Amino acid sequence: MNVNTEIALTYLSARKKQTIIASLGVMFGISMFIFMQSLMKGTNDYFEKMSFNNTPHIRMYSENKVADNHMMTSFLNDPSVKILTNPKQLIQSQGLTNPYGIIREISSKPEIANVTPQVTANVIYTSGSVQINGNVAGVNIDEEDKMFDVQSNMVTGDLHALNWVNNGILIGRGIADKLSLHTGDNITVTSGTGSPTIMKVVGIFATTVKQIDETKSYANIVQAQNLLGKDRSYVTDLKINLKDYNKASQVARDLETMTGYRAEDWVRANEQLKAAFKIRAIILNSVIGVILLVAGFGIYNILNMTIYEKIKEIAILKAQGFSGPAVTSIFLQQAIYIGLMGGIIGICVGFGITYMVSRIYIGAGTLKYLPMSFYIPHYIEAICFGILTTIAAGYFPARKASKVDPVTIIRG
Amino acid sequence: MADIALKSTNVTKYFHDPVTLPVLKNISLEVKKGEFVSIVGKSGCGKSTLLYVLSTMDRDYEGELEINGLKVTGKSLNDLARIRNESIGFVFQFHYLLPDFTCLKNVMIPALRLGKLSAKEVEAKAYEKLKMFGVEEQALKKANKLSGGQQQRVAIARALINDPAIIMGDEPTGNLDSKNTGIVFDLFQKLSKEFGQTIISVTHDEDFAKRSDRIIEMADGEIKSHG
Repeated sequence: MNVNTEIALTYLSARKKQTIIASLGVMFGISMFIFMQSLMKGTNDYFEKMSFNNTPHIRMYSENKVADNHMMTSFLNDPSVKILTNPKQLIQSQGLTNPYGIIREISSKPEIANVTPQVTANVIYTSGSVQINGNVAGVNIDEEDKMFDVQSNMVTGDLHALNWVNNGILIGRGIADKLSLHTGDNITVTSGTGSPTIMKVVGIFATTVKQIDETKSYANIVQAQNLLGKDRSYVTDLKINLKDYNKASQVARDLETMTGYRAEDWVRANEQLKAAFKIRAIILNSVIGVILLVAGFGIYNILNMTIYEKIKEIAILKAQGFSGPAVTSIFLQQAIYIGLMGGIIGICVGFGITYMVSRIYIGAGTLKYLPMSFYIPHYIEAICFGILTTIAAGYFPARKASKVDPVTIIRG
Repeated sequence: MADIALKSTNVTKYFHDPVTLPVLKNISLEVKKGEFVSIVGKSGCGKSTLLYVLSTMDRDYEGELEINGLKVTGKSLNDLARIRNESIGFVFQFHYLLPDFTCLKNVMIPALRLGKLSAKEVEAKAYEKLKMFGVEEQALKKANKLSGGQQQRVAIARALINDPAIIMGDEPTGNLDSKNTGIVFDLFQKLSKEFGQTIISVTHDEDFAKRSDRIIEMADGEIKSHG
């Protein structure tokens, strides 16, 4: 063992209490770091997954557009000729033109995992004299389930019944509660353009989002087309899932240029979710920063005190031929050992806290336990941060020690 | 010239606080190898200051200093640390042992720092040195558990561990009773006679000074007699 290391270790073990308190500071910082990172990643992952339960990676739909003259103006060279396509004046089709052709086209792209058509209809649900507004998603329920795991949200009933029960409908729990409906009951659904239709509740689902549960229902795509009084080629949305959802914004742009329809990726659709991720990250990182800062000051203080106390010994070491860098190394090593010790204990405690918290029952909606992630890089980051903090905190006292002038100290 | 252990040429030093004042004036001296020299003088005559200049710890002086024929003036701090480690041993008025370490470790540390011998060899050598001073029984005790005389003997053993060419003492017996002073003096004499080590010691103790090979007398920052 190097003599500097030996001296550093002896100093640490001669002042056990202070050493332990200093490393407890680091331990606290590191375990909080791990706990908070795990909680953050856990919740972020959970919310991301949740958002994919409702939103596809890309949603393609036809947007109401106000007239865009520039192509014709450049063709005719006469700006006095106008196109009137303002949807207020001229009724446009809400649907996509040739949806199944688009689906075939899109499906052949290698980034795409799934494409499914949907007919969205704004409707009024009526049962007895009670009415509520909402929307029906006309889907192919098997594909829908594959993409969004509808099954995991089911409370009662069977979602596959949509395939064989004529006029079947799956309703959100909020609708069921407000209209006091159970599986097997009938409900009247009226859209703006079609005639009222009596449908049969074949299942009830509950997401964690109250607003969805109180408005949304699923029906077979053909049923939805009937509700709206439209033909079989009427499709309002294409829901597209990708193999890698991180490429969504890129692919969405490609699809927009390819089809001319608007393709909205999940990031744009969930901007508030992304903002929440960012805010959470800022809050947690500043808390962690403060904790590590406090731990660092603890180490700084303790080393500073040690140096005041040991200033004569430092002078003697220098008189005996310990150079400035050797003295720096002695004190910096003390800081590093405090950091390592605190770091290792902190990792264990952090894991323990994370594990314990992940067993706390929450029971809100589909969220049973707090979502915690056990993500190895967090632990590596934590120990790196801990050691960096201690080095930073130890460096200044160590440098001070290395600058002790033996003559002034020994002569008094 | 090969037998000159230490040589200073026109060493002058000023204290700047509170006013600039010369404390050493043109000190030129030579100490031969194996010589046992005492520096005496009244308090404040600059003898300790001179010793710290000679020890290479104090670099704030004018003039030139040679140790073992090697010019040390102007060398870097790290080089000087190395020179001290290898060829100078210190004995102070107070023992300045590191209280958290055993006596044995205290003695071993300079040698471990030098790194020429393995830890085992250093330990054997440290035991040998402690035995020379009759404190081998205390080897494994913490340094602060010893009596004053024992502590000073351990401190001297520490000064000798690297077999330095020069041993410097700043009133090495200042805190010892006459019995311990006798022991230390006999050892110093033995080191210079038998092992050819140079000893330069600042002292107030007239008996101690008289019995050494040469007395350098200082007054007002100048050498009055080279003995």
